[in-house]
Amino acid sequence: MNLALEIVDLQAGYEPGLLIVRGASLQIQKGEIFAILGPNGAGKSSLVKAVAGLVPIASGRNILDGRDITKTPAHQMVFNGLAFVPQTENVFVNLSVAENLELAASVMKANRRERVDPVYAMFPDLHRQRGLPAGQLSGGQRQMLAVARALIARPSLLILDEPSAGLSPKLVDQVFSKLREVRDSGVTVLLVEQNVKAALALADRAAVLVEGKERIVATSAALLADERIAALYLGRHTGRQPRKEPS
Amino acid sequence: MLQIIADGLIIGSVISLGAIGLSMTLSIVRFSNFSHGELLGWGAYLALTAATGLTSMNAGLAAPIGPFSFGWGLLAAGVVACGLTALLALALDTLLFKRLRKQGAITLVIASFGAALALRNLLLFWQGGVPQYYSQNLQIAIPLLPRSVWGGLRVTPDQLFVLTLTLVTVTGLHLFLRHSTLGRSMRATAINPGLARVTGIDPERVLRATWLIGGVLAAVAGVFAGITVQLRPTMGVELLLPLFAAVILGGIGSIWGAVLGGLIVGLAESASVSVVGAEYRAAAAFVVLIAILMVRPNGLFGEKR
Repeated sequence: MNLALEIVDLQAGYEPGLLIVRGASLQIQKGEIFAILGPNGAGKSSLVKAVAGLVPIASGRNILDGRDITKTPAHQMVFNGLAFVPQTENVFVNLSVAENLELAASVMKANRRERVDPVYAMFPDLHRQRGLPAGQLSGGQRQMLAVARALIARPSLLILDEPSAGLSPKLVDQVFSKLREVRDSGVTVLLVEQNVKAALALADRAAVLVEGKERIVATSAALLADERIAALYLGRHTGRQPRKEPS
Repeated sequence: MLQIIADGLIIGSVISLGAIGLSMTLSIVRFSNFSHGELLGWGAYLALTAATGLTSMNAGLAAPIGPFSFGWGLLAAGVVACGLTALLALALDTLLFKRLRKQGAITLVIASFGAALALRNLLLFWQGGVPQYYSQNLQIAIPLLPRSVWGGLRVTPDQLFVLTLTLVTVTGLHLFLRHSTLGRSMRATAINPGLARVTGIDPERVLRATWLIGGVLAAVAGVFAGITVQLRPTMGVELLLPLFAAVILGGIGSIWGAVLGGLIVGLAESASVSVVGAEYRAAAAFVVLIAILMVRPNGLFGEKR
């Protein structure tokens, strides 16, 4: 199997005995964009945070590129090839754009220019604004910087928690277009999304998570085509209204 | 007038150095450490003990260097005191604060009160309550400006030494925080500890560095207080409120804010001694603090939180 990440029967939650992720199992193929969808409170963010080492894991395993990372602390994930972009507060606002990127490079003990220059080439706007404090960037630029910062680690898997949150449709298109470029550069992308329509347009495959466990895993095309699934799990996010049940 | 400013800057130097460590603890470890003042006292007395030990081995080390009141013995002892105070700060964290970190900031603050009491009384038990001095040599202040120019200006070489070394220390710290990986990691952790973790920054390493640097700066401030005033076991608690005033005034987490806050508190104390009397010096610092916070609630360099 050519797996980037395998999540095996994962149970996780912030408090002992209060599980949010309840036995989730997913297989993410190398080089694909995989979206995790589902209603509010389904445990989507908690699932990816548990994979990134930010939510305590009660049981189960996470396998990244064949290595068990279940017990790896969050700060060592980047050294194992996993980069995580949080939903909010995902840049160091008081540091400049350049400092955000250089910090990520120096933490990796890598040559700064060797790591930062290719990222600037991918995100030319960031290069133009490298002296600006990250807190002064617009929402879209900030999201680009967050992705760029994560890419400095040269991860094999990039996890993003709701990258479209708070962005206008135009900016969502820009960010998602960059994520396609990231995938094309050989990085596997796993993202959690509320914006179902945009996520399914971007992702190769997706899972619908309900109550902390995957209910459906299918290609994006199959999910978009299945009206019953769209109505039950994706609701109006697809643009279609759920059919009324006969009374 | 100029004399008040010079005296204020000298008092402010000691406060600034202590306030930087306190500000770093507040922004990175995220609690108000009321035992930080005691580290200044311990730093000062550890330097005195080390200086006594060194000069007993080699009497030449006690001989004053040029115009200063102290010899090479005290400078070497200061370095030893910095190391020992840094270790004391780290030990406090390892033995006490680290174990309570998950209980929240209020538990840590109360624990720091306990630690302050323990450290102060241990110092009193060890050194006694009688004030001590690094040197019995009397220093004559050098007249820099005559009385006809804004009341004149006289400073001792020791005071100039304190001012210069404060500037060097703060500049060195600024360069460290701005350009080194560890320094940038500390700034990043202060801004957003969660993001710092996913960026690959080891939070425990940053916390250890914070305690060590805070301890070193506290020791330097304590030695400077000993050089310019005297050593008392209660010097830590006496400096604690001005330290907090400086941190809040400058803005929590800002190094230059702590420096400026310290200098303003020092100037306010110095001016109050001349205007309303020495007994009101602490109150004067707080009047300035309140006045500035009414205009800038996050301090001079503080970010909105």
